[in-house]
This record gives sequence, C-alpha cells and structure tokens, in this order.
Amino acid sequence: MKRKLAIWVGGFALLAATLIDLLAVIGRHVGLPLAGSIELMQSMIVISGATGILIATMDSSHARVRILVDRFRPGWRASADRWSDLLSLVFLLALLIGSAWIAIDLWGGHEQSELLGVPWRLLRLFANACLAATILVLALRIFRSRSR
Amino acid sequence: MMATPATGLVGIAVLLALLLLGGRIGAVLGLVGIGGLMLVLGPEAALIKSGVVVIDTLTRYELGTLPLFLFMAQLFFSIDASRDMFDAAAKLIGHRKGGLAYATVAGCAGFGAINGSSLATTATVGMVAYPEMRQRGYADTLATGTIAAGGTLGQMIPPSAALIVFGIIAETSIGQLFTAAIIPGLTQALFYALVVFILVRIRPELAPAGLRAPWAQRWKALGRIWEILLLVILVIGGIALGWISPSEAAAIGASGALLIAAIRRKLTLQTLYNAFHETLQTSGMIFLIIIGALIFSVFVGVTGLADSAGELVAALGLGRTGTLMLVALMLLLLGSVLDGLALMLLTTPILLPVVQSTGLGAIWFGIFITRTMEIGFVHPPLGMNLYVMQRVAKDVQIGRIFRGVLPFLASDLLHLLILILFPGFVLWLPHMLGK
Repeated sequence: MKRKLAIWVGGFALLAATLIDLLAVIGRHVGLPLAGSIELMQSMIVISGATGILIATMDSSHARVRILVDRFRPGWRASADRWSDLLSLVFLLALLIGSAWIAIDLWGGHEQSELLGVPWRLLRLFANACLAATILVLALRIFRSRSR
Repeated sequence: MMATPATGLVGIAVLLALLLLGGRIGAVLGLVGIGGLMLVLGPEAALIKSGVVVIDTLTRYELGTLPLFLFMAQLFFSIDASRDMFDAAAKLIGHRKGGLAYATVAGCAGFGAINGSSLATTATVGMVAYPEMRQRGYADTLATGTIAAGGTLGQMIPPSAALIVFGIIAETSIGQLFTAAIIPGLTQALFYALVVFILVRIRPELAPAGLRAPWAQRWKALGRIWEILLLVILVIGGIALGWISPSEAAAIGASGALLIAAIRRKLTLQTLYNAFHETLQTSGMIFLIIIGALIFSVFVGVTGLADSAGELVAALGLGRTGTLMLVALMLLLLGSVLDGLALMLLTTPILLPVVQSTGLGAIWFGIFITRTMEIGFVHPPLGMNLYVMQRVAKDVQIGRIFRGVLPFLASDLLHLLILILFPGFVLWLPHMLGK
C-alpha cells in the first residue's frame, strides 16, 4: 500500500515534469514563454528522485557488483546482502544528517525560488522524509534477516 | 590527516574491496567519499558537504532528462516497440543471407534510440529476434552473438543513460554528448553489419536466406513504426541542432510516447502504473549512484590524486596515442571486474584530467568510456549481456554465446582503436553543428 502510494506520488511528478517541459518548449516557440518552468521542473525532480530512491530500496534494485557474491554459498550470500544493506544504511544516514542539518539551519530563512516562490524548505523536508523512510526500510530488512 | 594522493589511493583500494564484497555501488562510492572527507576535512565538513550534494543533485534541472527518457522507454516497452522495430527490419531485409542478423542490428539500433540501456535492448530484442532466427535455421552462435553485441548499441545511441550520467558527473553538456555519440553509434552498427556480412560470406550455412516478404507486408510493418521513428528523429535531431535542450527533448519524447500508446489503445491505468514503477526504480537507483559518485569525486579532488596521476602519465612520455591506449587498457581490465556504471564513476575523476592533458576534452572521453563500458558488457567474466542472452536462449550454453560474440568483440576493439587514432570521429559532428 505504502509502496503503491510512493509510486503514484513519484509517477505524478514524472507526468507533471513531462507536461511542464512540453509546455515550456511550445510556449517558447509560439512566443509565450512559461515563466518559472525550470523551477517547477526542479521541484518535480526532487519529488520523483527522492521517491525513486525509496522505491529502488524497497525493491532491492540498487546496482551491485555481483562477480564474487554470486559465487558465494547461500549462507555467505545472505551475509553479503545484510552487509550491503548495512553499508547503504550508514551512507543514507550520513546523507540524512547532512541534509537535515542544512534544512534546519535554513528553515527560518523561508528559502524560496526566485520567480514563482517555490518553498524550498518544504521540498527539503520531503527529500529528508524520503531518506528517513529509506533508512527505515533498510533497518527493518536487516532486523528481519537477522531474526530469521 | 593530510590530504595526499596516497590517501586517495587507499580510498580507491577500500572502494574496490567494498564493491567486490557486494556493497551497492552508490552507497559504497558515497561512503568511501564521506569517510575520506571525514579523515581529511573533519566530520562536520564531510556531513555538510554530503547534505549539500544530495539537494544540489536532486534539484538539478538536467537530471530531469534521465527519468523522462526512462519513462519514454517504459511506455514504448508497453506497446511492444521492440517487436515492431525488428519486424519492420526483418520484412525489409530478412530474406537475404544473414538478413535477420542485419535486422537484429537495425532493430537494436532503433530500439537503442528509444531506450538507453544495453541490458534492456538485449533482453527485449532478443525475445523477439532469437526465436525467429532459430526458426529460420540460423546458427545459435550467430543468433546469440548478434543480439548480445547489438544490445550494446542501446548504451551508445542517444538518448543514453550512461551519457546522461557522465554529463552530470563530468559537468559537461549532455546535448553535445548525445550529438557526439551519433557517428560512433551508427558506425558501431555498421561494423556489426560488416561482421555478419563477412561471417555469412565465409560460412553461408550460418544464416540461410529466407522468403522475400511482399511489399504490402513491408509497408504494413513500416506503418507500425513510422510515428516512433518520427519521434526519435525529432528528439535526437532537435538536440543535435540545438532547437531543444536534452531535458525538453526527453519531455517531448515522453509526451509523444504517451500519445502513441493512447492512439494504439494501450494506455491503461495499469500500463501507466507499471511505467511509473519501472522508471522510478531505475532512476532512483541511478540517482543514488550519482550522489555517491559526486561525493567520491570531491574526495578524490581534495587528495590531489587526479593531478598526480596526470603528472605520472605525462612523465612516461607516451604521447597522446600511447596515453590513450594505456587508459583504454586500464578501463578494459577494470571492466572485467566492475560493472559499467561503477567503472565510469570510479575512473572518471582520475582519468578525465589525464585525458584532458592530452588535449582531448570531456566530450571525447564520455564517448570513449561509454564505448569501453559497452565492451565490458560482452566480454567475460562479467559480460552481462551474455548472461541476459542466456536467459533468453536457455538452450544455448554460455560458452557458445561467448564464441558467437567473439567476432563482434574483435570489431569493438577495432572501433575503439579508431576512436583513439581519429578523435574527429567523435568531435566532428558536435563541432559542425555547434558553429
């Protein structure tokens, strides 16, 4: 259910990005430029990108070099998978700490885009929430695989 | 801790070890980068830098190019565009000796123009072309070899996911990279066609001639792909001529794909959901790799490793061709154990300055490294396309697939040599269109 919701949210951001850039091109060629289209696109990339990272983690589809792992015995392979999850968790945690640190510092500044006043702090919040959710997915997976 | 080239080297050794132990590419690149920066600059600076990279990356306008092209490709998957492309080529030239092998190369090139992945091109064209070739009495080695090699065209012919990632990492124009890839991509397809021609000349039993399709059938097959071809020409031509940016081209491509799917009555809620899912999954995976790679390249930059590597290579006095041959050899060796994206992201921060010291720029290097990545897709022990092909052709052993791909691999190496000896092969078109 949560996965489905993430896919629809990210998917609508993709559709919106498609429409925004299409209208921007048409507008430019007919002499009616779409002001702030780049800012809107940036917002949609944040939404689709952050949900994409979450979905790729939920589906365990992040790229790995498998030349050795695929030759391991099943038990070792399970340990390698857990190890890989743990490395990813530590990395994402570091990203979240850094990104949240900046977001907290800038929260009071009401950071906005120049033309349309897109509230960047909300987008930062969304990206950080997705990072936190991704960390949670990894933590649960590590926990479940240990208790098995 | 002092930031020295030796620190960078230790970082690379740790990175390689973690990658080989199965760590996720993006996470490992980023973790080594953050760890290295923590040692060199301190924990606070390292964490803040990584936080900056996350949001900077996720708000990059050019990054929109990647998910939108992936979205376009997913929509074309849903309408069986690969089958239509191969079918049209097979109807036109399939009756000749080796005709279906030529059609496979053409189908891969055509499908590569709407999808930027080698593995996806191999799998989708393979599922259509392999049974057809076997049914017509083609040798398993020629059938599997042609598809596995042809699949690599997906990576080179624009729009290419690898070139988008390279453009972002090397901070160079994605539009120019796409333009520069046109001649190498087309000549690579021609080289493959030449390999088929020579093989069939030497051993005609490898690919018997078939029945000529009547013109009514040919027109019908062409009628199923004309709007896709028109969209591809608009997208690639628009970028090459500078009418639209790559991101805008991707939006036009995705809108066109939505329209074509709707006209063919295949645009259902389920189709859309599946396209969203696949697009987000792949783009999320690549975004994490880009974030990790950018943090890693900051670390490599701080240690001065790239400068030292450049000085070392310059001290060898090999000249431009010798230096580029050395770089190619290094990439081909590393490509035996690392997958394509890992190879690109690990080596670009170090090798790009080396290549630039020979007078060639990021555009040339982007095409060159993508070409070496493609070769890694068809040579063991990794050779991912060979394994994808084996999943399609379950009755053929991996050894025979490798035997089949060998002549194409030889042509790949020759093609790579041409890129080194004649850089104009890559740089001429962007230069001409940029005037």
